Amino acid sequence: MSAILGTAGVWLGLMGALIGAVTLGLGLRRRDDSLLLAGRKYTWVIVAGAVLGVVAMESALLRHDFSLKYVAENGSRQTPLLFTITGMWSALEGSILLWALVLSGYLAVMVRHFRKRATDPLVGWATLTVFVVAAFFFALMAGPANPFRVIHGAIPTNGPGPNPLLQNHPLVAFHPPMLYLGYVGFTIPFAFAVAALVTGRLGEGWLVETRRWTLFAWGFLTIGIILGAWWSYEVLGWGGYWAWDPVENASFIPWLTATAYLHSVMVQERRGMLRIWNLSLLLATFSLTILGTFLTRSGVLDSVHSFTESPIGPWILTFFGLVVFTAVGLIAWRGDRLRSPGSIDSPVSREGAFLANNLLFAAFCFVVLLGTVFPLLAEAVNGDRLSVGGPYFNRMTTPIVIALLFLMAIAPVLPWRKASEEVLRKRLFWPAATATLVVVLCVATGLRGLSPLVVFWLGTFAAGSAVRQLVLSARRQGWRGLMGRANGGMIVHIGVVLIAVAFAASHAYGHSREFRLSPGQSAHLSGHTVTYLGSDTVKASNKTSVQARVRVDGGKVYGPAIQQFPFATQAIGSPSVKSGLHDDVYITLAAAPDQTGGSAVIGVIVQPLIIWLWIGGAVIALGTVLAAWPGRRRRPTAPVSAPVEVETKPEPVGAPL
Amino acid sequence: MSESASDVDVVVSAPRRHTARWAAITLGVVLLLFVAVLATRKSAADKQAESPLLGKPAPSLTGTGLDGSQVSLAAMHGKWVVVNFMASWCVPCRDEHPELVKFSQRHEAAGDAAVLGVIFDDTEPNVRRFFDQLGGSWPVVSDPGGRTALDFGVRGPPESFLVDPNGFVVWKGIGQVDANGLDKLVTQGKARGA
Amino acid sequence: MKGRLPWLVMGAVLVVALVIGAQGRSGPMTEAQRVKHIASEIRCPTCRNQSAAESDAAAAKAVRDEIDRRVRAGQSDGEIVAFMVSRYGSDILLKPPSSGVASLVWALPVVAVVVALAGLAVAFRRWRARPNVEVSAEDRALVERELERERA
Repeated sequence: MSAILGTAGVWLGLMGALIGAVTLGLGLRRRDDSLLLAGRKYTWVIVAGAVLGVVAMESALLRHDFSLKYVAENGSRQTPLLFTITGMWSALEGSILLWALVLSGYLAVMVRHFRKRATDPLVGWATLTVFVVAAFFFALMAGPANPFRVIHGAIPTNGPGPNPLLQNHPLVAFHPPMLYLGYVGFTIPFAFAVAALVTGRLGEGWLVETRRWTLFAWGFLTIGIILGAWWSYEVLGWGGYWAWDPVENASFIPWLTATAYLHSVMVQERRGMLRIWNLSLLLATFSLTILGTFLTRSGVLDSVHSFTESPIGPWILTFFGLVVFTAVGLIAWRGDRLRSPGSIDSPVSREGAFLANNLLFAAFCFVVLLGTVFPLLAEAVNGDRLSVGGPYFNRMTTPIVIALLFLMAIAPVLPWRKASEEVLRKRLFWPAATATLVVVLCVATGLRGLSPLVVFWLGTFAAGSAVRQLVLSARRQGWRGLMGRANGGMIVHIGVVLIAVAFAASHAYGHSREFRLSPGQSAHLSGHTVTYLGSDTVKASNKTSVQARVRVDGGKVYGPAIQQFPFATQAIGSPSVKSGLHDDVYITLAAAPDQTGGSAVIGVIVQPLIIWLWIGGAVIALGTVLAAWPGRRRRPTAPVSAPVEVETKPEPVGAPL
Repeated sequence: MSESASDVDVVVSAPRRHTARWAAITLGVVLLLFVAVLATRKSAADKQAESPLLGKPAPSLTGTGLDGSQVSLAAMHGKWVVVNFMASWCVPCRDEHPELVKFSQRHEAAGDAAVLGVIFDDTEPNVRRFFDQLGGSWPVVSDPGGRTALDFGVRGPPESFLVDPNGFVVWKGIGQVDANGLDKLVTQGKARGA
Repeated sequence: MKGRLPWLVMGAVLVVALVIGAQGRSGPMTEAQRVKHIASEIRCPTCRNQSAAESDAAAAKAVRDEIDRRVRAGQSDGEIVAFMVSRYGSDILLKPPSSGVASLVWALPVVAVVVALAGLAVAFRRWRARPNVEVSAEDRALVERELERERA
């Protein structure tokens, strides 16, 4: 039953997307408004298809319908309700279904938002582009990644449940959907970039319309990445949160290009410059999400998260090829005609800082991308097999991060056009003085190490600049001074600084050790006392765990465990963390006692400031919301840019809504 | 990129250089190569069967067998030995086990080849139960601390190495082995040696 | 606050603080630190992308123990790394070597940044040499108006 419903949904979505794309294509070709109006209605067919598919999948999971291969492999009667629901995105096929759902949601919002401009070719081309992307993902589900495949022969009575790592922390319910909201959200700006290139309408009007979409997608992706780091910290048991794993990189690379775009778009709005560059960033961001999907789902790279044995690699690679060659082709075709005149007077100016910012983000992106795919390239060149891991990424990205922090300190106070030395001296004095004071205090309290101290200095400096801007703005406009893009952006900067400082501190000043302790015995590490009290065996419906009782600093008792899931091969450790504003005590049960009352090996990791990573994430989220908050509506700044000599209708003035 | 256009100073329409086009075309070529590289890659799981040990003497392997006897690879010189790293929790190990049983039975009479099991990250009682269930009577050594696995460069069970009668590693296999495949390797090896 | 002197003082204080801060970590590493350092650049054999120093997998522990034995036996870092490569192959190293094809992974980003910087420098020179004559005044007026509107 679910199989029939779900398959119907997938085909409905696929057909809707294809017919819609053809209708829009014809409408655009013949300049036939009625076809354009008819074409956009297929959005609702696509949405219906995706919803039907998801409902069918969830109901199959909840009803334990093991006649479905996906449910038989990822569901079980013992799995708690939450993880049964999240089972939909704990394996490849279901995650594509989630992708389709999110994409159709974005599509619906977009089509509704632009409903009054439905006959505008720009909107028509953008919708057509999203239809094509949607058609691809539905085709994946109709073909190689079919989530509704049925089991032939005897239907199993129970299944193994999701991967153990995906059923022992509630963050699994939030991290993937957030990540997808971000990842998939870049489809909309991409579609508008394609539409702008095809129609030749590069005025700033379309930018104002799509900037907020990018900001939303960026915000979700940021939250998704940070939740992923948090999940890995709480679940994986090694005390880290970022390992430069290909999947992490795959989500981080488009984040970098999107961040670059969010900055450089301001140069275009103010000065009408960098049009092609901004378009390229949007095109690149979307292409990189598809590339990331390929790298992590085709099995060409080893990764913690790699979905095993999937046949969809060639499909995604083909689609990636289609996307990038469309993008490159459009730029080659239109690019030179759409170049903007205009120039930047001085490198020491706001726009100069944005250029430097973009250079650094592009370099950052290049380093991470190159490091991620380099094993494949090297192997293709001369058969060398090598790994590119944490030590490479840390060494290469540290200078970039330091330069970016420096820019974050300077740029917000730089005026547009040109800055004088005196202005800088005046505006930067207090931020710099505060930062220097902080470093002096750090050194006085015994902190050592050049790179963390440099990060602390630059971090405080950058935060000081941001706070200065916010204070000035709040003085002028009261609480409204915290809203709007520039001010929300400053709050985002503060969040980024928190993360950078916490990252540097936890890497430089973390300590870890393993202790073999008998019940009642204590161990000490970095000023914390850990007392092992004993272990219990705990049976839950979906797992059996050996849980240690460990008292930390004479207070609360924590329960790191080793969990055995019935169908899983190996037992997995499950850490327990005492979080504090100052530092985290991360406790793992490295080896359970051999017999009751015996000694156990307790792993203890003390790392400072970890909690500020998550707080920083929350601050970024807050800043993003404030930045996207619809304030006083500025009119599209289209007239600022010089006229573009391409055959085109005039840009509609005034944002319709 | 030609500079000829830029010295014509046009006021309204900016001088048209083809920077964007050339950049896009260059990028397109690079991307084409990149996609070609990606398209020709094998899956990561298939890539690991190479080993720096191939053609080198096998690392020393000694230990206590499940039955308490002393087992050593060196003592098996003169035979082809399949050194098999396994664990009871590993599903492919369970799947390949009947093949190893078949292989060891085929060569039992002739005595020209044998299997030597090494426990990878597992306990002796578990492995004993595994052998009771699935059969197989070849020596199995435990590997406390994983030293032997490290000496052989094992990344995860099941992995098998074929060691020739002179004690040289001639083949490494990742994942399941099958009896006929092993036989073929032994026959090939004998032919080469002869 | 307007002159340069406060900045010079601040710079001097900062440099002194950083110089003090950068010291105190020197001195030869202890054996345990050496083990950790070497292990942090060896990939844990059974995991995917963690170093042997971080992972709690049995194979990572085996690697740490082996490094520990060899450090105690007086081997150099290079010898220990070479041993690991001789058993697992070169992809056991998390850090690609700086010779051969692998050196490209180190060099390419640097080259790219240098080229981009050079490109920017050329662009700035061109901009300075040929200031934007056509729209400057109008542009400025619009920018001013926008700024006004924002201030309002």
